[in-house]
Amino acid sequence: MAALWQYGAALVVVGVCTLIALPLRPHLAAANLVMLYLIGVVAVAAKLQRQVALFTSVLSVAAFDFFCVPHYFSFAVADSEYLITLAAMLAVALLISGMTSRIRVQEAAAAEREARVQAEGMRTSLLSAVSHDLRTPLSSITGAAGTLRSHWEKLDVTTRNELLGSITDESDRLNRLLNNLLEVTRLESGVQLRKDWFPLEEIVGAALHHMKRHIAGRKIIADIPSDLPMVAIDDVLMEQVFVNLIENAVKYTPETTPVEILARRNNGAVEVEVLDSGPGFAAGHEHRVFDKFFRGRSNEVRGAGLGLAICRAIIEAHGGSIYAENRKDGGAIIRFQIPFGDSVLKHNGGTGGNGE
Amino acid sequence: MVSEGRKAALATRPEILLVEDDSQIRRFIKAMLTAEDYRLHEAITGEEGIAQASSRNPDLILLDLGLPDRDGIDVIREIRQWSHIPILVLSARGQEQDKIKALDAGADDYVSKPFAPGEVSARIRASLRRAAVLDKNEAGETVEFGNISVNLAARRVLVGGSEVHLTPNEYKLLQVLLHHAGRVVTQRQLLKQVWGPEHVNEPQYLRVFMGQLRRKLEADPAHPTYLITEPGIGYRLLLETEHN
Repeated sequence: MAALWQYGAALVVVGVCTLIALPLRPHLAAANLVMLYLIGVVAVAAKLQRQVALFTSVLSVAAFDFFCVPHYFSFAVADSEYLITLAAMLAVALLISGMTSRIRVQEAAAAEREARVQAEGMRTSLLSAVSHDLRTPLSSITGAAGTLRSHWEKLDVTTRNELLGSITDESDRLNRLLNNLLEVTRLESGVQLRKDWFPLEEIVGAALHHMKRHIAGRKIIADIPSDLPMVAIDDVLMEQVFVNLIENAVKYTPETTPVEILARRNNGAVEVEVLDSGPGFAAGHEHRVFDKFFRGRSNEVRGAGLGLAICRAIIEAHGGSIYAENRKDGGAIIRFQIPFGDSVLKHNGGTGGNGE
Repeated sequence: MVSEGRKAALATRPEILLVEDDSQIRRFIKAMLTAEDYRLHEAITGEEGIAQASSRNPDLILLDLGLPDRDGIDVIREIRQWSHIPILVLSARGQEQDKIKALDAGADDYVSKPFAPGEVSARIRASLRRAAVLDKNEAGETVEFGNISVNLAARRVLVGGSEVHLTPNEYKLLQVLLHHAGRVVTQRQLLKQVWGPEHVNEPQYLRVFMGQLRRKLEADPAHPTYLITEPGIGYRLLLETEHN
C-alpha cells in the first residue's frame, strides 16, 4: 500500500495543474489544457508508486472535466465531443503512468544487477589475490616444518636454522597480510575514528619503535619541527599509516639508501612526506598505487597491494588527501595532508591548568 | 641425582601460572618458559586459573583474555581482591579497548598475539623485576639506563654526565614511569598519578609533557629509545632493549 502522504502529494499536483489551467482556459483549446494535466501525471508516475499514479490519472480526468469542460464547475458535459477528449485523456494518462512505473522498476533491477556484478568482480579479484598471498607463506611454513620433522637428524645446523628462520619470517608475513586484510574490511565497513590531539612526533616515534626489527640497519631520518601544533587524529590508525608508508619505502629501496619523514605546517593542515631514494614509481602508476590489490613497483617484491590502499582510506577518513609522485633526482615521494582539526590547540610549552 | 647448584636454582626458579585455553599456545609457551628456567603451572579455564592462583601462589600469572568460561577482565578483578601477583595479559592485536580495561582492572601489562620473539620473556622479566625497582625507588638509589642516570634521593637527572633540569611535573612523570619500568602505564593512570584524579580526561597535558621529557632525555625524540608510546593505550619506559 502506498503511504497516505503519496496520495496527498498527488492531490497537490492535480491542484497545481488546475490552478495553472484556470487562467489559461479562455486562451487555450481544451486539448492543450489536457497536456498540462498529463505533465502532472508523468511527474507523479516518475516519483511515486504505481497505484498513486493511476489515482492521479483518474483524478486529473475528473478535475479536467469539472474545471475545464463546459459546463464549468460541473461534471456535466455540454458537448458530447468532449466525451472523446475525456476518454482519450484517461487512456493516455493510464498508459503513461503504467509505462513510467514499469521503467522505474526495470531501472532499479538493472542497477541492482550491476552492483551484484561489480561486487562479484571485486570478490573474485580479492579471493585470487588473497588465496595466492595466503598460500605462498603457508606452503613455506608447512614445507619447512615438515622437512625439519622428517629429516631432523640428516640436516646440518645451518640448514635447520635456515628452515626455522623461514618459518618465523613467513609467519610474520602471514600475520601482516591478515592484519592488512582485517584493516581494509574494517575501514570499508565505515570505521569510527577515535580522534584526539596528538603531537605528530609521538605517532612517528611509536611507528618507528614498533618497526624496529623491520628497519634494523636502515637509516631513517625523521624531521618534525618541535613547534608543529598538535593534530586531531586517531592515534592507532595514524600509526598504521606511518608503519605502512615506512614499510613500503624500506621494501622497495636498496638497504644503503635513507628514508626521510618530513612534516610541516601548510595553512590549516599538516603536510607529511615520506621520501626514499629507490627506483620510484613506473610512469602512470602514481595514481593507481592507492588502489586495492594494485602492486605498483615491481613483481619481485611480495605483498598484496593493500598497504597504500589502507593509508588512503585512513587519510580520507580524517578529511585529508594523499598523493604519490617521483622525485626529480630519483626515488618516490608519498605526500599526505590532514587538517589540524577544528582549532589549533596552544598547549605547546603550556604548564597545565584547565583544559579547553 | 640433582647437583647442589641445580637444587639451589630450583628453589629460586620463579613459578608462572599460565591460564590459556588453546593447547597449541600452551605447548609453545611451556617449551619456551621451561627452557628459560621458569616453573610452569597450567590452567585451561578462568575458574581453574583463579583456583590455582590461590592454591599455588605463583610469582606471575600469564592470562589469556579470551577464556571459554569467564571474561578475562572478571578473572583479573577477582584475583586482585586478594592478591598483588603480577598479571600479564595475552590479547590479540587491535583490541586496544580490552587491553585498557584489563590494565585498569589491575593487570600489570599485556603482550599482543602473535608474539614477537622474545617479547613474552622481556615482559615477564619486567614484571618480575617490579619489586626490585620499587625497592630501589624507596631506598633512593640511582637508576641508570643508556647514558641517563636518575638519582631518586637527590631528584637529579644526568644525561651523558651533565645535569638536565626537569620541571616538577616532568620529574613526577619520569618517576611514575620508573616505578613501572618496562611495563605499560595507561594514560589514565599517568594523569591520575601526576596531575591528580580531576585531570584524567585531559590527555593533551600528558602528551605535551611527554614530548618535553623526550626532548630532554632522548637523542632523537621522534625515534625514542626509552620513552615509548603505545598508541591507544599509554606509555612504557624501556630500561633494557628488548631481545629481538
